[in-house]
Amino acid sequence: MIPIEAVIVLGLLLFAIGFVGVVVRKNLVVMLMSLELLLNGANVILVGLGRRLDSPRGTIFAMFVIIMAVSEAAVGFALVLAYFRQKKSYDVDALDDLKG
Amino acid sequence: MITLAVFTFFAVLAVAGAVLVIVQKNVMHSVLYLAFTVLATAGVFFTLQAEYLGAIQILVYGGGIVVLYIFVIIIVNLKEVVPERRSLLPKLVLIAVPVAVGAEVAYLLLARGFPAAGAGGEGMGFETMAEILFGSYLFPFELASVLLLAVLVGAIIIARRKLIHDPD
Repeated sequence: MIPIEAVIVLGLLLFAIGFVGVVVRKNLVVMLMSLELLLNGANVILVGLGRRLDSPRGTIFAMFVIIMAVSEAAVGFALVLAYFRQKKSYDVDALDDLKG
Repeated sequence: MITLAVFTFFAVLAVAGAVLVIVQKNVMHSVLYLAFTVLATAGVFFTLQAEYLGAIQILVYGGGIVVLYIFVIIIVNLKEVVPERRSLLPKLVLIAVPVAVGAEVAYLLLARGFPAAGAGGEGMGFETMAEILFGSYLFPFELASVLLLAVLVGAIIIARRKLIHDPD
């Protein structure tokens, strides 16, 4: 039997690493990948809690999170492509003309 | 006992892969480490007796999202290395925020202990899961299909090269 604390700490670690990637990196594609890590960490916690409560609802919830992650990746990449056509780069600092 | 060992193995692999994703300079290496992390997470799901979700994870993430990432990196400039222009101190502050949040939750969890589960769960079988998914969660399930359709149309429109002027 896997202790619930271990599962939650693993999910927190993945979440924190994804968070660091989103706020520290300046590469648009790496930021999107870090978002996937973040959602994965949330999924691990959801599945662990579902196991703990002996209920499939954690798994179902994690499935909806995966559906959302797929949608986010698809739209995010369409935006990256549109952005790349404009700027010829995927550095987020090139976006600073959006201010105001 | 063996389950705990396998869980620890996959957990260490997942965390190591995740750290490697965010420290790589080359984006293509990051994508490969992301695939590694995703597969290790699928292993974690298997040890947590969520076989269905593990299979979904391998199919959707390992087969779909990672390939999408690789395509996009091939389409856009593969060679570009985005410089990290922040100096050390702002970077450390930015790293400290998520670390503090995670440490706080972990501390609360380990110090107070997790509340005991209520008796009488629903069971983790496929049959129960299908009944709940297509019973209580039927509306979100159908909503998800509408979301995916909207994403399909939206992604095509955003990524299209130029607008087609339709007289209608």
